[in-house]
Amino acid sequence: MTTETFKLGYNDIHDDVVRSIVKTGPKYYIALATAGSITLLCFFFPWFYQLYYGIGAAGMNHPGVWGTYLASFIFWIGLSHSGTLLSCVLHLTNSSWRKAMYRSAEAMTLFSLVVAATYVMVHVGRPWFVHWAVPYPNQMELWPNFRSPLMFDVMAIATYITGSTIFIYMGSIPDFAAVRDRTSGWRNTMYTLLSLGWRGTDKEWHRLHWAYTFLAVLIIPLAVSVHSIVSWDFAMSIVPSLHQTIFAPYFVVGAIYSGTAGIVTVMFVLRKTMGFEQYITKVHFDNLGKLLLVLSLIWTYINGVELFTAWYSGTSEEYEALGYKLFGYYAWLYWEMILFCAVAPLLMFSTRFRTSFVPMLILSIAINIGMFTERFLIIATSLSRQYLPDAWGVYVPSLVEISIMVGSFALFTTLFLVFVKIFPSVSMYEVKETMATPKMEPLAPASGSPA
Amino acid sequence: MTSNVIGLFHDPESALTAAGELKGAGFESLEIMSPVPIHGVEAVLGKKKSVIKNFTFMGALIGGISGFALAAGTAIAWPHPVGGRPIITMPPFLIITYELTILFGILATVLGFIVSSRLPAFRNRVYVPESAVDKFVVTAPCDDAEHFKRAEAILNQAGAEQVRAMSGEES
Amino acid sequence: MSFFSRFMDGWRKYRKPGYYEEFDYHWTMAIDLDKCTGCEACMTACQAENNIPVVGEEEVARGREMQWIRVERYWEGEYPNAKLNFIPMMCQHCDAAPCETVCPVAATYHNQDGLNAQIYNRCIGTRACAVYCPYEVRYFNYYDHGWDSPLEQQLNPDVTVRGKGVMEKCTFCIQRIRQAKDMAKDDDRRRVQDGEVQPACVQTCPTKALVFGNRKDRESEVYQSMTDPRNYRVLDELNTDSSVFYLKKVDA
Repeated sequence: MTTETFKLGYNDIHDDVVRSIVKTGPKYYIALATAGSITLLCFFFPWFYQLYYGIGAAGMNHPGVWGTYLASFIFWIGLSHSGTLLSCVLHLTNSSWRKAMYRSAEAMTLFSLVVAATYVMVHVGRPWFVHWAVPYPNQMELWPNFRSPLMFDVMAIATYITGSTIFIYMGSIPDFAAVRDRTSGWRNTMYTLLSLGWRGTDKEWHRLHWAYTFLAVLIIPLAVSVHSIVSWDFAMSIVPSLHQTIFAPYFVVGAIYSGTAGIVTVMFVLRKTMGFEQYITKVHFDNLGKLLLVLSLIWTYINGVELFTAWYSGTSEEYEALGYKLFGYYAWLYWEMILFCAVAPLLMFSTRFRTSFVPMLILSIAINIGMFTERFLIIATSLSRQYLPDAWGVYVPSLVEISIMVGSFALFTTLFLVFVKIFPSVSMYEVKETMATPKMEPLAPASGSPA
Repeated sequence: MTSNVIGLFHDPESALTAAGELKGAGFESLEIMSPVPIHGVEAVLGKKKSVIKNFTFMGALIGGISGFALAAGTAIAWPHPVGGRPIITMPPFLIITYELTILFGILATVLGFIVSSRLPAFRNRVYVPESAVDKFVVTAPCDDAEHFKRAEAILNQAGAEQVRAMSGEES
Repeated sequence: MSFFSRFMDGWRKYRKPGYYEEFDYHWTMAIDLDKCTGCEACMTACQAENNIPVVGEEEVARGREMQWIRVERYWEGEYPNAKLNFIPMMCQHCDAAPCETVCPVAATYHNQDGLNAQIYNRCIGTRACAVYCPYEVRYFNYYDHGWDSPLEQQLNPDVTVRGKGVMEKCTFCIQRIRQAKDMAKDDDRRRVQDGEVQPACVQTCPTKALVFGNRKDRESEVYQSMTDPRNYRVLDELNTDSSVFYLKKVDA
């Protein structure tokens, strides 16, 4: 199972990770303040403006009633498919290269879901009533309409957020215990509570292993179903170019694709900023690159299938939608998406490319830009060309929408920055597992335990 | 008051050997604390039955039933004709059932973990902080000083780096 | 009755789509495209009757027009042989409406008169119904539009005024239908007769191209139009089972 042996000892990992939590330099505070203020300025203030004046502040119109808000929502849910799904699959296949990075990947999942949930409230016309979509007993005796694909969405995403939170928490219990021993004050209290008194006995490890495995087994079908259900928001309509059965696999593959690209980006940033160069190595980027390549090929194929079935159907509305997608108002976006998501990833056939850090970072960002464009195009081009030519129209995003998009990235970054100071962002016990036996270290004197 | 003998080892194999010998010498309630899960513990300390799978199964079952009951029950409580579909439709309700199955399964697994591993630890238990970093620790409760000496001897013979005493669980 | 037979009765009852097979009235509209001149009087009447806000020139330029009925114009050929086709398009009140299924908070449903009803108070503005409607006849309130004084004197007291964030669409002037039913009930509990209730657009049409009535009444004018050989329904191949029948324009 040990595909690589670090030249480090258990102690080094322990020290590195605890230091990354406890020691905070000015750079961190500057980063946190910047991310926080961009969130406030670019996400919350325009949103409050929109709450006051109405959805008209965004660029949506008739027929383009859905726009970048929903595209961003789907993009963030897609990003969330990276961490937890990948982590579960790789756990069940006993792979060792996931060990160093899965904690941060799972955190990415959780915070993407939080941002996506906030986006729901930005998107609906009357967010102060959005709680009506939650089934709760009320004096009106009104329940939500469970036949609606949007209701499947509500249930699926609620389950997914719960599952992801529980999953990342369970996996971190031993690490919380380890960090608890090295901290004092409010941190000690927090970690004592979070670690539930974990001691690392054989019985506890055994139970944790089984609970974790069952969670992984449950979360894999959940993650597949979540993005299928999100795709059914579109696929269950009857308008052309949205009403396709390929949407469920399309969205799931696209989600894992963009999520994995997101992991590459986050891993690069973590390496540089937290000093984890020894734990996140070329091997990880190589493997992630192979995964990205496979997903990119599948994604290209599915895109081709979509075009082919539209053309093969021979119906006038499908031809119109297809022509509009390829050569219409948004055509430049379509070809940019193909370039970034289908053509550029072919570079990853070369091992040298896959194991170089900065090229992979640039490619992963390009892939995510392309995937966001894909979500946007699905909405904008389909709504622009429906059945009745009189109702055709063009939708252009407004400044408020673009600002909120930028702000959502800042919101995600803020949450992630808070995360790295609370959770051990590299899973200590799993990385230790990949190592050989720990180095011989002289013991501290027997009196008293280190604070 | 019982005391616990604690032996610190630097690798898992010697810890397992020591635990086996302690068990053979008649000590009970052995615990091996480690920073990583060790393989081969079952062979030494006996196989543990995991009850978590029962929790998961029961949780998933309850989730499935309540998912369908929620969707169908609320549909019947206020019949709301939409789209020419029946009031109780299978495709949407089965999706709701599926989601709630997984949700309750997840929650039940967590509950099972908490119950079966006896966490959170409300009372102080034997704990050695080095076991979280890089040492493998074997502990056993001892009734009196003679027991303790015997245990200490076994541990030292198996290659313990350090042997300590610690008072037992506060009752 | 045993528990099992009661259960099976309930099961069978709830496997049916509610009121679908037992409509009280089944309001239908028939539009004769041969008679339609494209004058758009129906649009003006609808706007007056239903308190539809005037969104202003700028908003219409951005594509946010607010109208419950629109007259679609299709050109054929080039000048001087250009032909123009007009199709008044409003909510088709489909019996198998795609928009009803997708509302997560159940703000739109099919009522016992065969109408697709929109509940403004319940709408949270997801706009999924507008995406799902193939006829694109659902309109969203992007802003709170007011009426400058003294225009608010002209508002119809029988119809509510919608705030921002709410979806609205043609209701077949349900306030008029409700009033007609009330009057019929007061008047010796009879049924609403053909021609007693007319939505604003039907009432205003100068060429009488629009006809409205209850399709369950076999003597009604709308039933005669419905069974005319020229009749068709827009996007019938989608099986939305709409309640608006169009009579094809015959080119002489």
